[in-house]
Amino acid sequence: MSVLKTENITMKFGGLTAVKDFNLELNQNEIVALIGPNGAGKTTAFNMITGVYRPTTGSIIYNGQRIAGLKPDAITRLGLARTFQNIRLFKELSVLDNVFIANHLHLNSNIFEATFRLPRYRREKREKLQRSEFLIEKLGLKEFMNEKSSSLPYGLQRRLEIARALATDPKILLLDEPAAGMNPKETDDLTAFIKEIRDEFDLTIFMIEHHMHLVMGISDRIYVLDHGVTIAEGNPYEIQNDPRVIEAYLGVSEDAED
Amino acid sequence: MKRRNIILTSISILLLLVFIFVADSSFDAYKVRILNLCAIYTVLGLSMNLINGFTGLFSLGHAGFMAVGAYTTALLTMSAATKQQNFFLAPILPPLDRLNAPFLVALLVGGLLSAFVALLIGAPVLRLKGDYLAIATLGFSEIIRIVFTNTQRITNGALGLKAIPSTTNLWWSYGAAAFTVVIMALLISSSYGKAFKAIREDEIAAESMGINLFKHKVLSFVIGAFFAGVGGGLLGSLMGTIDPQMFKFAFTFNILLIIVLGGMGSITGTVIAAFIISSAGELLRFLDQSINLGFVVIPGISGLRMVVFSALLMVVVLFFRNGLMGTNEFSWDKVIGLLQRRPLIKRRLGQ
Ligand SMILES: Nc1ncnc2c1ncn2[C@@H]1O[C@H](COP(=O)(O)OP(=O)(O)OP(=O)(O)O)[C@@H](O)[C@H]1O
Ligand SMILES: [Mg+2]
Repeated sequence: MSVLKTENITMKFGGLTAVKDFNLELNQNEIVALIGPNGAGKTTAFNMITGVYRPTTGSIIYNGQRIAGLKPDAITRLGLARTFQNIRLFKELSVLDNVFIANHLHLNSNIFEATFRLPRYRREKREKLQRSEFLIEKLGLKEFMNEKSSSLPYGLQRRLEIARALATDPKILLLDEPAAGMNPKETDDLTAFIKEIRDEFDLTIFMIEHHMHLVMGISDRIYVLDHGVTIAEGNPYEIQNDPRVIEAYLGVSEDAED
Repeated sequence: MKRRNIILTSISILLLLVFIFVADSSFDAYKVRILNLCAIYTVLGLSMNLINGFTGLFSLGHAGFMAVGAYTTALLTMSAATKQQNFFLAPILPPLDRLNAPFLVALLVGGLLSAFVALLIGAPVLRLKGDYLAIATLGFSEIIRIVFTNTQRITNGALGLKAIPSTTNLWWSYGAAAFTVVIMALLISSSYGKAFKAIREDEIAAESMGINLFKHKVLSFVIGAFFAGVGGGLLGSLMGTIDPQMFKFAFTFNILLIIVLGGMGSITGTVIAAFIISSAGELLRFLDQSINLGFVVIPGISGLRMVVFSALLMVVVLFFRNGLMGTNEFSWDKVIGLLQRRPLIKRRLGQ
């Protein structure tokens, strides 16, 4: 069953077309990867889906609803949550607060009830604290609960971003290079972990990743972008043997050698 | 542990009450005035810190909100006869001439009107970011000042209002300061306050976590403006006179100095800095007057006080960007931790 579909979404920045006619389809509980050389337009595609950018043209359909042009918070409310390639934690705040804040959107209490700690707020707060603590424990961050988030090592900051995204209670989780900066052991753990949360939280996962080992081991399907254009789409086996994909990647490594 | 903190807090409140009682009955007028200013600047500093420090909005419109509160409170507390004396150029617009309210009601109405004005200008202005927001809010506060200068029959124009009943005393000002501290502490530690901080830390991340930026910015702006209005009302009543010149940018600058010195995003820091800046403001008044050293008289340079304050702001921004407290808050546990640290080391050395 398709949960998210983009129809020819295109993003232009002035004269530069960062993404051109991108057609994505995510099915319930799939793990789908988006790969491509640096600057291919992967993060831009994410930004369009999550509302950070409004697509220049094209439409995005989530569970039958058109969401292109909605604000990021409205999209998150509908059930799409994300992490960021260049980590964007609330740096000065504790690990617990980072996750707790991601529950705020589901709060029914108004600001008056919250300030004066009226019963409804107290009940909601208790629930949301419990859930935050559960997610923090789930991601192995329990001992850092009250630490400032910026004091965590890089790998743990990435995990905290996942905990925070999960706290919004998403249906689709978008991960932008979750394994960046992780060592091989951590990357392997992450692979297992992504599958685990997919099953436990009934998620559909769409991720950008450069670690081919991780991508090939976990993805049901893969999209390949190069210079904003989708050059291939298929299962890991098909992608590994696609001459255009090989060329795109070889092309990049040749460039890098100059 | 918890019990101990409650006891310590109760003792402190009691001591504060005793102090206010003693000060109120035996201090001279000059000292009482400074103490009043300390408390009122606490209210004003906290109101601005909510907007600028906790929510990270670069707003410079504070003088405008204070003006709305000050004029409202003044007009609601002045008697019909006083109003008639004030408005001798052009008669006051009815029904303002007969509108009258008790001080508490007048303060609250002043706060609410100020909050309402914030809501009106917040809707367009809070869509702007950073420097643009600063310029727009600065413009707003200048517009308020110019409007107040020209609405002769409502504000008495450039003449201002004189003989405002001086209801503000230490009980009022410290009561208001305590009320503001408590409300701010509760608000900031609630889910909404945390959402404000998230916006300050990273707007894009906050928005992606489902926080409606606009709604939360407006909330913070309006609540901040409410307390600015209340502070303005207290100040007007303390001064006895207000006029549009009082609410120039320099006033906003003074409050900004308090929150930067105390720490953007610290209630404790704002309280400490409010006391430092308002005492210093009075104690350094001699700088603006000529100084007689006995053998030589140094002519006063008016505005020298402002130069000292501006230099102070530059030093803080250059060398102590986090101010006195950063984003830290006072707690008994921390204080006692600090006090216990020393003996602990001694004990260890002794072994
Ligand atoms: N806000 C923007 N304004 C202008 N150009 C942009 C903007 N965002 C991205 N670009 C450009 O769009 C292109 C695609 O960028 P994008 O970040 O989507 O690449 P990417 O595939 O995520 O790359 P990487 O692997 O390095 O993260 C790049 O050329 C980039 O410079
Ligand atoms: Mg990217």
